[in-house]
Parts: sequence; structure tokens; C-alpha cells
Amino acid sequence: MAKRVLIVDDAAFMRMLLKDIITKAGYEVVGEATNGVEAVEKYKELKPDIVTMDITMPEMNGIEAIKKIKEIDPNANIIVCSAMGQQAMVVEAIQAGAKDFIVKPFQQSRVVEALNKVSK
Amino acid sequence: MNEQYLSVFLDEAREYMESLNENMLKLEKDPEDMEIINEIFRVLHTLKGMSATMGFENMSKLCHRMENIFDDLRNEKMKITTELMDTLFAGVDAMEKMIQMMAEGKGDELDVSDLLNTYEGIIKGEMKIEEKKEEEKLETPKKEGEKSERIKEYEKIPIEIDETLLHTLEEAKKKDYNTYYVKVVLEEGTLLKSARMYMVFHKIEEMGGEVLKSIPPVEDIENEKFEREVELIVVCKIDRNKLHEAIGNISEIEKVIVREIDMESARGEIEERKVETKEEKKTVEKVEAKESSRMKRITQTIRVDIDKLDTLMNLMGELVIARSRIADTLRKYQIKEVDESLAQLSRVTLDLQNIIMKIRMVPIAFVFNRFPRMVRDLARRFNKEINLVITGQETELDRTVVDEIGEPLLHLLRNAVDHGIEPKEERIAKGKPPVGTIVLAARHEGNNVIIEVSDDGRGMDKEKILSKAIERGLIDEASAQNLPEDKIFSFVFMPGFSTKEDVSDVSGRGVGMDVVKSAIEALNGSVSLESKKDEGTKVTIRLPLTLAIIQALLVTIGDFVYAIPIVNIDSTMAASEDDVQIVENREVMVVRGEIIPIVRLKEMFGIETGKKSRNINLVIVKNGPRKYGFVVDRLLGQDDIVIKSLGKLLKDIKEFSGGAILGDGSIALILDVSNIVSNI
Repeated sequence: MAKRVLIVDDAAFMRMLLKDIITKAGYEVVGEATNGVEAVEKYKELKPDIVTMDITMPEMNGIEAIKKIKEIDPNANIIVCSAMGQQAMVVEAIQAGAKDFIVKPFQQSRVVEALNKVSK
Repeated sequence: MNEQYLSVFLDEAREYMESLNENMLKLEKDPEDMEIINEIFRVLHTLKGMSATMGFENMSKLCHRMENIFDDLRNEKMKITTELMDTLFAGVDAMEKMIQMMAEGKGDELDVSDLLNTYEGIIKGEMKIEEKKEEEKLETPKKEGEKSERIKEYEKIPIEIDETLLHTLEEAKKKDYNTYYVKVVLEEGTLLKSARMYMVFHKIEEMGGEVLKSIPPVEDIENEKFEREVELIVVCKIDRNKLHEAIGNISEIEKVIVREIDMESARGEIEERKVETKEEKKTVEKVEAKESSRMKRITQTIRVDIDKLDTLMNLMGELVIARSRIADTLRKYQIKEVDESLAQLSRVTLDLQNIIMKIRMVPIAFVFNRFPRMVRDLARRFNKEINLVITGQETELDRTVVDEIGEPLLHLLRNAVDHGIEPKEERIAKGKPPVGTIVLAARHEGNNVIIEVSDDGRGMDKEKILSKAIERGLIDEASAQNLPEDKIFSFVFMPGFSTKEDVSDVSGRGVGMDVVKSAIEALNGSVSLESKKDEGTKVTIRLPLTLAIIQALLVTIGDFVYAIPIVNIDSTMAASEDDVQIVENREVMVVRGEIIPIVRLKEMFGIETGKKSRNINLVIVKNGPRKYGFVVDRLLGQDDIVIKSLGKLLKDIKEFSGGAILGDGSIALILDVSNIVSNI
């Protein structure tokens, strides 16, 4: 059965792009969230296998959301989506429990590699 | 000290060492050649200054002593002997070692006291040849010891395990920990490498492991100062395959090597290395040099002859002119199709221009660095307590400007120490803090660099300056009455103007201020001075970022085109002759509540034109805080112009700072605003 993915990003364009890559890689996108608060709610609701999490978002940022999700499910598989130059944020996200990170602009191969590695 | 400067310093120092070695060898063959002696003296002197600036006291001391010897040789107080050459060569060797150590980030802490003593003996003429031979004998084993000491210390750094680490590892082993050497290679093109490496560290810690050592060190990893490889010494409880798998499972990792550390052989290796070291000193040293350059990864620089950069800048200038001409021509024929490619060309030339300008830029720290020491020494000499505050030393400006700005700044600082800051007792009596402060500050402001030298000393007496100015006939008493402050202080920059009666050997306030002014103006800069009695003096220097290409407003006066540098322009406006009023025999105009003197360039330049119009175009220019209205015929627009010097024959013409070739091939003179308004 295809692994189920939740995409969290405030930009519709980025969600579209990611959804495209993820679906092509044989995963199923089960939901999308546009901020941290929504992400936590959707996580509870959908129990996805993998979450892709943007860092800078309104309401609640990605790092807070990772912490909240980890509280709910310590085994959550979260991949952080970062822009260049957000090194410190990425480190923080990993400390918070993210399992991998991908850097915008996304390279398809990297996204797929990250998905495959965390879903192992 | 900043690594950036270190790398430049090292580059240069190595170059000097090369020339030193070469000349020493020449000297040995031809001990009478004064030219060689002078050259060596010069090189040593330069090295001394450079090292002192970088804070390498040992190196500087060594250079100093050797310099003294060459000074004596120069003055024929001493003759070159083989023995003398030997000791001098030993000095050069020691210097080379120090430079190598500096490159490894270990400073210049090489013990050269023996060498220094020998040199001192030579200078004092006490050294007899036999004695010296004795000393040499004593010296040789010491040098050997030093060398192996150094190598041992060095080998603590790379993959090899040193004794302390080995000890820790043995302790860990006793507690049932596994000890591994781990090498991680990231995939090519990995982004956010630090974060990726952090994941490796995080993973190891997550599994209860600990990283005892990493190459490069953690700080360098955090700052992305590594290529793709990181080597680690790890202790953990999990087995080798698990560790390998866990790290290998992290994304974007190309290769992981995990090797168990064998304590026995590690210990053996340490011993072996010690032996090897002594046998193959030379080879190790070479490897060491190679390794260290890899380890430290000092900013790569390349030294280029400044003349080549000047040529490049000139060619760039020609390119800008050619572009303007093409643009002009095409405008005439209105060919729409080429607009886009022309815009592209403009962008590229602009980028090119910027990058060439940047290549020529160096931080002003190059000049500032030598001041703290100088101020300290001067303060001592005058028995004053002074705190020198330097800010903005990272401010970059054109290399030529940096080279030229040192002397004027030196002068201003000397003035501040000598005449500005009061002696301690006087300060206390005035209720000021006993320690005086001198601030040397640099910053960017638009296309200018501003350098300020200010002190909280006794300031200048306005009245004294005025009476002196009247006495010297620079101004009559009547107009002296309501002269604005900045005008009063500008007298200080007049040649030979000094209010100080007792001129000290260091500086006389006023004497030399004209030199400062002309030096700054030669760089197309300007200088102004503010002062309050008992509160202090502030000298502000304004310099253009670059000397070659400027933005200018092109205007016509009569049939001629003139260029006014944009930096000097406040605004432009259309007005009518009716707005011009006469105040105190001067034409002025009220612009936005300000009274601005009107300058009719046409009359000033003696240009005859028949037609008279009621409407006038004004270019409001600023010179320091003051504004002036230049009357011109037409405003043509803004353009990049390449400044060409007017040449020696016309150097006395103060109104123009240069000429420029315009797009249509005609020539425009560039107005020197501050000189034009200085007589108004």
C-alpha cells in the first residue's frame, strides 16, 4: 500500500509542486495544511505516514508544529522543507525531531530520496 | 586578527621571504654590493612593520634586530663575514618557520632568544668569531629539539590519534565502549551542508554515542568551512555495522567509512611517528605545509599588480563610453529591435563595472591597524591618557584611496593627541574624564566613504582663528562679524595658518592642515572641521568610493556641455529671473525657505551668449552643509562618465576636476563643485 503523505506549506504553489513530485514517486498525498495549527489538526485526523513541513508559516511555524506533532506521536516521520540560508532553523527542526530536510528549490530526486529514507 | 588579513599578510610575507633568500644568496657571492644590502634592509623593514601590525611581536623583533645589522652594514660600520652570513641565514630560517606557524594558526611563538642575543652581540661589536661558534654549537641542538617538538604538536591535529585522545579512548574501551574512526562524505552539490552534518552528529548522539574529535573542528562545520568530507572519532556502544547503516541512511551522504580503532597499533603509530619525524624531517615538513593549507583553508587570494587593475578599469571606462555612443546613435535612428539587447549590454557593463570596483576595494583596516600602537606611543610621550576608539574598520574603499589616506589620517591623529586632548590634570580641573577619547570612525554614505577623526579635547578657539584670519588679511573685520562657523574653521585649512604659538616636534595644529586638505582633494574628496571650545574637535573626511567612473548630471552652458557629479547635487529646479533677490550685493534665491546663493557659471566661465531668457534652470549643489544654486542653460540628463585627468599642464585650473568623453565623442568638463563655491 502506498505510504500516505501530509503536505504542510503556506504557499499553494509549493504544495502543488510537492504534490506532483510526491505522487509521481508513488506516494499518496492524503492532505494539505497551510499553517502549523492546521498541520497539527490534520495530523491527528489523518495519521499520515510522512509529513513534509515548511518552516516559515503564519499562525504556527514549522518548528512549533513539529514539536506538537512529536508530542502526539513520537514516531512521526517529518521532513522539513527549508529555503537556502535557514541552516539554524533546520538544525532546530532536527533537534525537535525532524528526520530529514529538503532545500528549496526542490530537486525531484532529493525529495524522493528523503521520502524513501524516512519511510524505511 | 581577522583571517582575511592573515591570508593577505602571509601571501605577502612569503613573497618577501623569497626575495630575502634570493638577495641573501646574492650577497654571499658579492658582499660589497650596497644595492643588495639596501634591498634586504628595505624588505626587513617592511616585514617588521607588517608583523607588528598583525601583532606578531616575535617576528617583528627578529626583523628589527636583523635590520639593525644591515643598517650597520649599510653605513659600513661592519663587514660581512661567512660567520655573519651564517647567523643571518639562521634568522631567515627562523622567520620562515614563524610564517609557517602563522599559517597553521599557531602564531609566532618560536623561541628565538638565542638568535636575538647573538644579533645584539653583533650589533654591539662584542661578538668574537670563536664565541660565536660556541653559541652556534649551543644553538644547533636546541633548534633540533624545537623542530621535533613542533611536529609532535602538529600531529595532534589530523586523523592520527595523539596521546591524550588515545588515553580517553582506552578509558572508554575499559567501560565497554566501541571506538571508531568515521569518515563521512557528502554528495556533491549538497545544500545546507552544516545542517546535514548536524544530522550525522545528532544521529550518533541519538544512539548514545559521542564524538570525541572531528576534522575539521565543529566550529568550522557549523560555519560551513568544509568541502564534503568530515572525519570523526566516535565512541559508542552500538556495533560497527549499525553505526554505518544509521549514518548511511541519512540523505545526501555519498559515502561512510567506519573503522575500528586498534589501540595497540595507534600507540605503536605514535611511537613510530616520533622516530620517522626525526629521520625524515624535510619530507614531513613538506607534507606538513600541504596538510596545513588543507586544514586551515585560509581565504584564497591572488595578488595582482595594481597597474593591471588600473588598465582594466581604463578599459572598462572605454567600454562605458562605447556603450553610451552606441546608445546615442541608436536613439537617433530609433531602432526598436535593439532596445532589449542594448539594455542587456547596459546591465552587463554595469555589473562588470561594479565587480571591477569591488576588486579594487580593500578594508580600511589596512590603514587603521597601525594607528592604535602609534596613538599609544604618542600618548606616552606627551604623558597623556588616551583611549582610541576605532569603528567601521571593515569599510571598504578603493585601494588607491587607502594607500593615500594614511598620511593625512596620521596627521589628524597626531594633532588630536598633541593639541586636542589635554593633560590629565587640566582635564580633571575642567571636570572632564581624566582619560581622553579619540574616535576614528569610517562608514559608507551613499557613494561616499566618511572618515571622522574626533577628540574630546580642548577644541579650537573660534575667536583666535578669526583674529588670526583678520591679521593675515584673509578677511576684513566687517565681514568677519557674521561669518558662519564652518567658514571660520575652513581657515584652518589655509596654507601656513596656525594659531598655535609653540609648535611641537610632532605636530603644530594648523601647520599641515593644508597638506591634509590637498591630499584629500587630490582624491576628489573633501574635508571639513567642527570644533567647540573645551568640548573637542571633529574632522570629517568625505571620499568617493571610486575614482574612475562617476554618475553625473550633464548640463549645457552656452554651446558647451558640462558634467556635475551626482554626489554634489541636491536637486534641480526651474525658476524665473524675478525670483532672484539681491542680499548684501549677492544674488540669492529663496528655495523651500532656505536662502541660497546663486552662481552664474556663464559669467564665471566667461561664456558669451546672445539670448537672454526670463526662465532659468537651477542645479542646487551642496558642499558640506551649504547649498548653492548653479544657473545653467539646459539639463541634458544623467550619465555614467569616465573621469580623465586634465593633465599636468592644466592642473592649476581649480574649477574642473577633469574631463569626460561623452557618448557622441564630444568632451565635457567636470565641475569641481567644492572649489567653485569656495570663493563664494
